[in-house]
Amino acid sequence: MRLLAAHLRKLVRRPASWVTLVLLLALLALIYLALIAGARTSGDPQTALGARLFVTFPAAYELVLTLILGIGGLLAVTYGAAIAGSEWGWGTLKSAVARGESRTRYTLLNYVAVAILVVVGLVVAFLLGVAGSAAGAVVLNSSLDGMGDRDGLLRLPELLARASLALAMNTAFGFAIATVARSQLAGIAVGVGLFFAEGIAGLFLPDVFQWFPFSAASAVTAAGSGAGLGGGGAVVATQLDPDTAIVAVVVWLVVALGITALFTERAEIGG
Amino acid sequence: MTAGSGVALATQGLTKRYGSRVALDGLDLRVPEGVVYGFLGPNGAGKTTTMRILTGLVRQDAGSVELLGRPFGRGDRRRLFDVGALIESPAFYPFLSGRENLRSLAATGAGVPAGRIEELLTLVNLRERANDRVSGYSLGMKQRLGIAASLLSDPRLLLLDEPANGLDPAGIVGMRDTLRALAAAGKTVFVSSHILSEVQQLVDVVGIIAQGRLVREGPVETLLREEGSIRVRVAADEVAAAAATMATVAGAGSVTTELGPEAGWLSVRLDPSRAGEVNRALAGTGIFASRIEAGTNLEALFLGLTASRPAGSQGAAGPPDAPAAAPPTGWKA
Repeated sequence: MRLLAAHLRKLVRRPASWVTLVLLLALLALIYLALIAGARTSGDPQTALGARLFVTFPAAYELVLTLILGIGGLLAVTYGAAIAGSEWGWGTLKSAVARGESRTRYTLLNYVAVAILVVVGLVVAFLLGVAGSAAGAVVLNSSLDGMGDRDGLLRLPELLARASLALAMNTAFGFAIATVARSQLAGIAVGVGLFFAEGIAGLFLPDVFQWFPFSAASAVTAAGSGAGLGGGGAVVATQLDPDTAIVAVVVWLVVALGITALFTERAEIGG
Repeated sequence: MTAGSGVALATQGLTKRYGSRVALDGLDLRVPEGVVYGFLGPNGAGKTTTMRILTGLVRQDAGSVELLGRPFGRGDRRRLFDVGALIESPAFYPFLSGRENLRSLAATGAGVPAGRIEELLTLVNLRERANDRVSGYSLGMKQRLGIAASLLSDPRLLLLDEPANGLDPAGIVGMRDTLRALAAAGKTVFVSSHILSEVQQLVDVVGIIAQGRLVREGPVETLLREEGSIRVRVAADEVAAAAATMATVAGAGSVTTELGPEAGWLSVRLDPSRAGEVNRALAGTGIFASRIEAGTNLEALFLGLTASRPAGSQGAAGPPDAPAAAPPTGWKA
């Protein structure tokens, strides 16, 4: 526990944690502003309908999470890569190993700490998103009655858990890539590249790429499946149902953490 | 030398290759307990690779390591709980303060007693800057913090790679004082350094490696005596006669004459305590030396053993006895 606590303390003090959270919140705010402004000024009924969906509760809860999964998925990859890569770049993993610390324990607990912060970020972003939807409802003269819908509220823990798992998997992927690359920059670059490459490839071979990590992660909520944002934020016809997507996400999570542990354990640590 | 009967660290046939390059080629080391051991070698000789193997960062291709009396191999990471290390440059999170970095590191490996961090910050004279971010530290301050980090768990064996890097003179004196005190308390300090004059003042035993192999190991005093030389300056027209006379004392082929700016100097490889005998022999043949220097230093020994003296240089060993260092005054900012 003391190592996990140390990792958490370190991450809370790390500028990258706050920059990532602020970036996520800023992007969300921007999207809401655009959505509401578009709905008020555009005569396009499709735009108005889209905006209405985001401000109509309880469906808005799920849409907000899907939106966060799309933007936050990419940020989770880069954040995971930044944290894992810096352990190699700064030599701090070396110091821990030289003190007799278990490589796998150190690295996986570091991941757990990162995942905890990612989930906290998800909750904060979700609250901001819900507030944005509520504000949008007021501006667009939509009813807020659905906010207190009992069924909708009862589903929230499950939705948040699914989204958390998806973001944790994205984080694990960034973590694994940076660990293999042993570099913060390379990890981020390759992680972002894979994220977008998967999204683009999914446009052409959706049946295959729906099983890939970032596409599966975007399908863990019902609103995400069917027309999820997919890897790279591209709108793809994701066909996985949410429960199947969860299984795929768990498999990818285990694979990513397995790669991380295996590589860290076997690596020759220099520099 | 305060060596105990045990061996703190030993390697046998340690071999490591990086592709086609041989970093270590059957390295055999034997570090007694309770000494400061100087691990010397030219760049690329394999010092850092050895340090990495000793701390489990890298695995050897062949050979064995024994740490604190027991074999150290894969799966023996807990043996490092009794080892403190500073390998290459000190590694810290730049966005955390010095104190926070030590706290973070203390959460790994062996437990760290309460109050230990403050004690170490005081020891390395970083207490006043302990709350500053490490990104604002100078190289010397990071090095001090690195040494503090290596001492976190009060290790029985300390492995320090170039610990004097970036330290100012007061810092070097403070470090020397600390390491000597640790050895006096029965701990073993294994230190690599390029600052040979510093090493000579600090260590009890020295191991010199070149091209991945041990070329000499032993107590510093013994090595210096065995590798000692006597230098004599005579008039230029007496060099040949002086060489012949000195050869009668030290044996044929043991005398070298120096050229260029050093012309008039003769060197003979001989126990420095026999300088008077050489002087007497020269005087007996009517040759009176204008200067006689006896002894050697670690630098001359190192350069001779590793053949890393710059090409063209014929300079002999420097003054035999380096001036004594000022009394240790602790770590100054």
